[in-house]
Amino acid sequence: MKADKEMGCEQVRNMSADWLNDRLDNMERREIDNHLAGCSGCQEEFAMDKQLWANLGKMRVPEPEESMRVNFYQMLDEFKEAEKEKESFSLQYIIEKIREFVLPQWTIQVAFSLLLVGLGWVIGRKTSPETTKAVAYKEQIETLASQVEDMKSTMMLSLIENPSATERLRAVSYTSDIENADERVIEALFTTLNNDDNDNVRLVTLEALTQYADNPAVREGLVKSLLVQDSPMVQVGLADIMVKLQEKRSVKVLRKLLKKEGLNDLVKTKIEQSIKDLS
Amino acid sequence: MNTLTDNSLMLRVKAGDLDKMGLLFERYNRPLFGFFYHMTHNADASEDLVQNVFYRMLKYRHAFTGDGEFRTWMYHLGRNVLNDSVKQNKSANHFDVNELADRIGGGTLADESFEKQQDKDFLHKAMAGLSAEYREVLILSRFQEMKYDEIAKVLNINEGTVKVRVHRALGELKKKFFTNESR
Repeated sequence: MKADKEMGCEQVRNMSADWLNDRLDNMERREIDNHLAGCSGCQEEFAMDKQLWANLGKMRVPEPEESMRVNFYQMLDEFKEAEKEKESFSLQYIIEKIREFVLPQWTIQVAFSLLLVGLGWVIGRKTSPETTKAVAYKEQIETLASQVEDMKSTMMLSLIENPSATERLRAVSYTSDIENADERVIEALFTTLNNDDNDNVRLVTLEALTQYADNPAVREGLVKSLLVQDSPMVQVGLADIMVKLQEKRSVKVLRKLLKKEGLNDLVKTKIEQSIKDLS
Repeated sequence: MNTLTDNSLMLRVKAGDLDKMGLLFERYNRPLFGFFYHMTHNADASEDLVQNVFYRMLKYRHAFTGDGEFRTWMYHLGRNVLNDSVKQNKSANHFDVNELADRIGGGTLADESFEKQQDKDFLHKAMAGLSAEYREVLILSRFQEMKYDEIAKVLNINEGTVKVRVHRALGELKKKFFTNESR
């Protein structure tokens, strides 16, 4: 009997962790309850376990500092950034390589030169043997000339968004050969004038646009651009052009510009002078 | 609702939507901090460890298959991070168990018998006196409220071993706690 009880005690005590963790089925629970009812030693043990378990549950954990969250999100951002770089690096690198291989920068120029040589050759061959059909040839030449102009427009439009400022300057300079710029060219020039982040490109663009000043839309665009510009060089350039074109409509805008905050003193004097000259 | 389970969030992270890790952080930073705090009793170190676990989950996101529970995987990584950190700091005795017990036991006991405070200190000391192996099973079952089968997966051992370990850990803790108290 005594031996039975001792076995029972050991078995029961082995189950105390499960009892605390609430992992016993009903039968096991009942057996333990029965045993505890008649065994003060185990009762004491279980009471101790229970107290310990409850105390454990009361153990406090301090709040983590807010910096933990901040640091986490910073780490996440940095991680995302690094991943993006890794990805775009490999992808961009491959695209760049292919592009360089298939279409080097100079190919456009070479193609253009070849075309011109070709045209010259065609024109030469057509014109030299028979001068009698001069009128017909003249027509042909005109057609060819306008085709060249078209080519230049296309080249200009394709180059003007190039990330290199030198290429953009080149694009703008092509317009000196384009007598009758179409809407697309004008629009591209204005976009550059108002948005390009390089002062030199904007100045050259301004110059290029003045050659189309006969076009009322261009004049209007130039007047409007006065308020958009923030570089003193371009502001002064525009004011000069307004005087040169005797663009009276600009006086109002120039006055508005005078009120703009942080206006360069030199520009101020220049604009005041221009207003005087115009009115 | 289904899209918001831990596993689906982690699978989204795996697929490249790294921001979803933010939601998992919000869910688990405190329990994880608690786990490390009970293991090390050092709040600063615990914060670093939490950060480390989330970094590893991002870095090794491709290793998450979604077959098991996210939480299990997270604690599994958490244990590794802690072990690495213990190894790294071994020379400095950073998380050395004995040092930990000294740190907790010392100083706070004033002559006045704040019984509750004493109880807490004794318990902290008793916990710190346990081996890391015993301490972690108690923490996982008591504080993280994990079932034995989940603990088994976190620790990579079988369920029977967990059961025995919890039982022994509790016995050991009881011995330490009540002998301390009666002292």
